[in-house]
Amino acid sequence: MEIRPFETKHLDKWKSTLDSCIRCGYCYEHCPVFKDTRWESNSPRGKMIMIYGLLSGKLDPSTYIADKISSCFYCGRCNAACSSGVTLTDIITDAKRDFQGTEFETPGSTSVTNTDCAACLACVRICPHEAREFINGKIVTDTVKCQSCGICVDVCPNKAVATNLSYGTDRSSLNREIRTFLEKDNGKAIIFGCNWSYYPDFQSSVMDPETPPEYKILINMCGGRLEKPLLLEPFLQNAWGVLVACCPDGDCEHDGNVKAKTHVAALREFLKEMDMDENRIQLVQIAHGDKAGFQSAIDKFMENLNTLGPLNRQ
Amino acid sequence: MKKIDVPILKNIVGEENISTDPADLFIYGSDSSVHSARPWVVVRPGDTQQVQQIMAYANQEKIPVVTRGGGSGMCGQTVPVQGGITLDMKRMNKILEINAPDVFCRVQPGVVDDDLNKALSPFGVFYPPTPASSRIATIGGEIGNNASGVRSVKYGATRDSVLGLKVVLADGSLVTLGARTRVEATGYQVHKLMVGSEGTLGVVVEATLSFVPIPKFRCLGMANFDRLEDAGTAIADIMASGVVPSMLELVDSVAIKAVNKTMDLGLPEVEAVLLYEADGMVKEAVDYEINTMQEVCKNNGGTGLTSSYDAKERAKIFLGRKKLFPALSKFSDALSSTSLADDMAVPYSKMAETAKMIHEIAARNNIIMTAYGHCGSGCMHTKILMAPNRQDQWESAKRAVAEIYEYVRSVKGTTSAEHGIGISKASAFKAEKNDSLKLMINMKKAFDPNNILNPGKLMDAHEDWVTATDLRYTVA
Repeated sequence: MEIRPFETKHLDKWKSTLDSCIRCGYCYEHCPVFKDTRWESNSPRGKMIMIYGLLSGKLDPSTYIADKISSCFYCGRCNAACSSGVTLTDIITDAKRDFQGTEFETPGSTSVTNTDCAACLACVRICPHEAREFINGKIVTDTVKCQSCGICVDVCPNKAVATNLSYGTDRSSLNREIRTFLEKDNGKAIIFGCNWSYYPDFQSSVMDPETPPEYKILINMCGGRLEKPLLLEPFLQNAWGVLVACCPDGDCEHDGNVKAKTHVAALREFLKEMDMDENRIQLVQIAHGDKAGFQSAIDKFMENLNTLGPLNRQ
Repeated sequence: MKKIDVPILKNIVGEENISTDPADLFIYGSDSSVHSARPWVVVRPGDTQQVQQIMAYANQEKIPVVTRGGGSGMCGQTVPVQGGITLDMKRMNKILEINAPDVFCRVQPGVVDDDLNKALSPFGVFYPPTPASSRIATIGGEIGNNASGVRSVKYGATRDSVLGLKVVLADGSLVTLGARTRVEATGYQVHKLMVGSEGTLGVVVEATLSFVPIPKFRCLGMANFDRLEDAGTAIADIMASGVVPSMLELVDSVAIKAVNKTMDLGLPEVEAVLLYEADGMVKEAVDYEINTMQEVCKNNGGTGLTSSYDAKERAKIFLGRKKLFPALSKFSDALSSTSLADDMAVPYSKMAETAKMIHEIAARNNIIMTAYGHCGSGCMHTKILMAPNRQDQWESAKRAVAEIYEYVRSVKGTTSAEHGIGISKASAFKAEKNDSLKLMINMKKAFDPNNILNPGKLMDAHEDWVTATDLRYTVA
């Protein structure tokens, strides 16, 4: 494909909008990418400032900038937080459009397919954003359409799909978090929360508690990308239980909640077959922003888990 | 530009915590102000020892160091006028201790204000300074700025809550200031001096803060005024009535229009709205305070008086004020909201006159200005709504800012109540503190003989704030 020069063709219309952005930073407390790295260049505000730099000629385009801008999970929390009315994800998409086909284009947090691909096309069929195509014998991801939901990563039977920049949401990072937490004396359960339906109260600070908590909430990008091995990993690390939280029926943009339900149902059967209490793994559907509902579901789950006790008692 | 030895800094903080990429330098060179400059390197220390090593190196090489928290400052405090090292403190984000019996907590500077309050709430207490930007503002930044917010009228500003600090000085040495006690009369209270010093005297690496009980009852009231002057008189009367409001906010007509447009709240389009709150442990006491304030409003022509104890209803009443700052940028498509002349304080009796004067000065200079703020603590906020790409608008803004501060000084007010001085307000600050400037310059020299800590701010700042740095906007 011919490499084209970088032009701000799609971004030009946002000039005055970016003047209106007061750079208050209220968007960045919500951003899962920023929370993972705490680099301001990974925050929504940072992205807007970089784009302003490109538009005003104060910054030259670079792969570094393209990578930062293409790292977005499209949860849209930044849009909701901005009462200046700036639709940040639209601006990010237009920046990706302008970078597409140039020497600077990078996948960012979008998915890539490696040579293990058996061309079964399962990922092409399941992609809710029509971002994957089979072209000349290869799967190609459209970096503009891809919203980094990661459903394709889960569905690939050959594990040939991955996100190079996952910001703590890939299986190995989550496994690492699971192991580190469950090594602690008090660690009993892992709660998988979906970034769309829930995000943790603590945004960027860390508590140094004397008594570590009994459970850890791990935020993932969609219930649909929670693979079965990942859901079983806590049990291998002696967890007492696993709770999966995803969006209510009809609310998930990626239909990931349907997949999560299927996975959890299958694993409950599996636990039964292993003579374990199936309620050690449960799924709850939490409406967008319902923190109280989420907390009460966790409390109920933990209460039941404390009755069941640790795994080795059974 | 001086030569900076990046590998030395990499050795201190690790490769993943340092950047010289032009994009990072561009981002870390601006905040929520109109200013923009670029550091030479962004460094993210993870502990006190690393801060000490960085400062020792910077002092030896005479490299400027600008400390940065959330980057939500509105006067350019974290804009690196002379380049150098930007020290991003967000990795030092641990709440180290919550000591309920001794009524203090210890935190690292990168802890976000709201996070601290979430951690404190199970103990039935809260950290009160809380500026509007508490969702991203870090404790370190709030200390640098002596930040305060809507409840400062009753609970004070950051300085009132800081019991002690650990500070890395310009030469890299570490000092422990203050105590863990409510009162202290043991020599100079240097920790109090550190608060509000805008990163020019040292780098805070740990803070010991006091907190207060969360009141059991909180009641928020609202009154509309057809005349701005009447709202101003009501403010002075409330403060003289013997009650201590936990919040007393003014919102003017420009702000009301902006909020209605952005939030569709349907606020009455009057000249001014007053929001008044009382809180306490005994309902009868809160009732008394709210009724007194309500009565004062009524006597001064206030209409549409409402009040509520209900949390949801209070949130609804307050929503407009909470969203005001960003909402102002939606006032008109052609205009942007800029933080200029944004937080003066004046005596209560001058509130009404100040609000009126702000509107007069704005009209005279062909710009739009709002008047709102934490009037209970004497603080009047403004924003200048202007077309930031036009050179003539900056000249108008400069004239308006100068006229406003001249007026503020004439009524014995002060340049900044809570946002600090930075670059934007330096000339007004120097004019106000004329007879103590030399003393402050000598104090700064005692702390930082090589002038590496946030140079080009406060006493050291350029007289003309418009040309002191690049503007963040593209001006034709």
